[in-house]
Amino acid sequence: MTDAWIKPQITRRNVVLYLLAALGFVLVVIRFAGGIGRVSNLNDGYPWGFWIGLDILAGIALAAGGFIVAGMVHLFGARKYHVLARPAILTAFLGYLLFIIGLAIDLGRPWMIWQALFHWNHSSPMFEVSWCVTMYTTVLLMEFLPVVFERFGWKHLHDMWHNLVPWVIIGMLTLFTLAMSGSVGWTVVVFAILLAWEVSMRTGLMQRDAQMPTLLVMAGIIFSTLHQSSLGSLLLIIPHKLHPLWFTQAIPIFFLLSAVMIGVGMVIFENIISARVHDRKPDTHLLAGFARALPYLLGLYLLLKVGDIFRTGAAEYLFMFNSVAIGMWLELVVGVLIPLVLFMTPETRESERWLLWGSIFVVAGGIINRLNTVITGVVVANWAPYHPSWMEVAISLGVLSGGILVLDFIVRNFSVFEDRHALAR
Amino acid sequence: MKAMLIDTTRCVGCRGCQVACKQWNGLPAEETVFFGGPGYQNPRDLSGKTWTLITYNEAQVGDHYDWVYGKLQCMHCQEPACAASCPTSAMEKLPEGPVVYHPNQCLGCRYCMLACPFQVIRFDWFSANPYVSKCTMCADRVLSGQEPACVKACPTDALVFGDREVLIAEAHHRIEDNPRKYVHHVFGEHEVGGTCVLHLSTVPFELLGYRSDLPEKSLRRWTEPAMKPIPYIVVALSLALGGVAWIVNRRDKRLVEKWTKQVKEMQ
Repeated sequence: MTDAWIKPQITRRNVVLYLLAALGFVLVVIRFAGGIGRVSNLNDGYPWGFWIGLDILAGIALAAGGFIVAGMVHLFGARKYHVLARPAILTAFLGYLLFIIGLAIDLGRPWMIWQALFHWNHSSPMFEVSWCVTMYTTVLLMEFLPVVFERFGWKHLHDMWHNLVPWVIIGMLTLFTLAMSGSVGWTVVVFAILLAWEVSMRTGLMQRDAQMPTLLVMAGIIFSTLHQSSLGSLLLIIPHKLHPLWFTQAIPIFFLLSAVMIGVGMVIFENIISARVHDRKPDTHLLAGFARALPYLLGLYLLLKVGDIFRTGAAEYLFMFNSVAIGMWLELVVGVLIPLVLFMTPETRESERWLLWGSIFVVAGGIINRLNTVITGVVVANWAPYHPSWMEVAISLGVLSGGILVLDFIVRNFSVFEDRHALAR
Repeated sequence: MKAMLIDTTRCVGCRGCQVACKQWNGLPAEETVFFGGPGYQNPRDLSGKTWTLITYNEAQVGDHYDWVYGKLQCMHCQEPACAASCPTSAMEKLPEGPVVYHPNQCLGCRYCMLACPFQVIRFDWFSANPYVSKCTMCADRVLSGQEPACVKACPTDALVFGDREVLIAEAHHRIEDNPRKYVHHVFGEHEVGGTCVLHLSTVPFELLGYRSDLPEKSLRRWTEPAMKPIPYIVVALSLALGGVAWIVNRRDKRLVEKWTKQVKEMQ
């Protein structure tokens, strides 16, 4: 391919993103020079706050679209959605890279992160999350590589990728099982199952997807299911701090279910927005079809969440006038009730404008939920309450702005949306 | 398992334990300031430089108001939430009793601080290479058969060191011998699965800043049900997703075959 690169340009439309990214960069330098206390309001009573809530809990849920769409298209046979797959995988990949940057800012000693590979602690949800995220980011990179091969016309590498990726995946999932269970038995079982699938595909006993190795898509779904739920499990160790409206043994299930909702919402949101930015027409009909899953997901979530609130006896806290009750009502009304109505009604589901609004509600509600879970809902006895500082917020916004600029550059230069040549002009 | 018994009724607030702790562990002094509230407390709170602290609490004792002293430090839980939550096993429970910290393994993620039910772990907020810190029960002394520095220094035997079972029996004896002097509760006997630092008090423990609403179960009991199923989920999803791929791809292949046949027939 001999296409010229479309260089990034500062325009009136994106100048704010450049400014936010620059401000964020300056603050990050201050944070690494002088410590986390220089830029944040985090303290010994509230060691986790805005960064964990937004960059990590919300960020990972927002990037859930990658495994959902890849799984639908390349494993469950919903091939008509294939145009959604590449953008979803790219967004997820960049989302996870942003998450890693956000985590590096929040960790006191991020350069020691490799320690988790050697000191296994099977009882720690954080140990599992760190392994899953490392593995899944690698999976996303491998899922995105064909786009790079196409851009440079590396046919040979593309073939090699097809051939090698399944073995890499077998190795990764086997090692992961050993690290999580510490049991040779489980490790052998997982290895044998994966090997059996791959061998039956190579011998022609089983058909395979032409574009994406089946094991790669499977690994994406397995790692995502595990860490999307385990991000909720992180909070199971604080029954003494997390408010009963959020604390429940079922919190991993709620995190997984809501990540799927938010991931679907984010795919719709991103498609419409990037179509508008690049003067394309979004495929409203396709997105509306995709959105048909949302009423079921949202309805199920609402049913389970409200049922669980009554089961644990926390319902009384819903009817008080305080920040906790307001926070819970906000996430349920904005993130679940309003979009439930919007996506259930065929007239609003089929209109581009309302699709966009519905997805904005789902995504906003999801972010509120994650922030509530680590900020509003966490109450430490005998400690002054925590509010994020403006610098914490500015760092998160700066990282996000940088990510959007990179996303925009890639979309302009690689065939992510399939009509790239149209928008290059 | 070794433990420490703190009988706050015997404490005179001399803070010799605080000094001994700093001496043995090589911790620097702290600049202190006056502040409202319990004004004789010095310094104000635990920190990276102060691993144990005598708290000054004004409370009604019998018919008069008096100072009641408490001792803040790591409680050395039998099943510590910090050790269960650390992703790199930087917090470790020794079979002898102490919960120790391996700084070289620490990422600075502060999950241990979030998990700790007693709020005793502190972080270097203004360092470019930060660690967390907390009391280690002088694990180096304990492992060589000595008692912790604070216990060694205590002039009134408000602090005693020994086997956990023996100290629990001793604590209950003291309550039985002096039922009017003590609150009838050994703080740490059952809290969050039991701790290796036990407290006796003459006023309700909340007045000393302790939480009386902690569960008796170890906090691990909540994370375990979420961690145990992981290998089952990996196996179940590997089987199920492979099965789905098999069915879907076979269906697609048959459809393609059918269409090619139809196209041929039409020609």
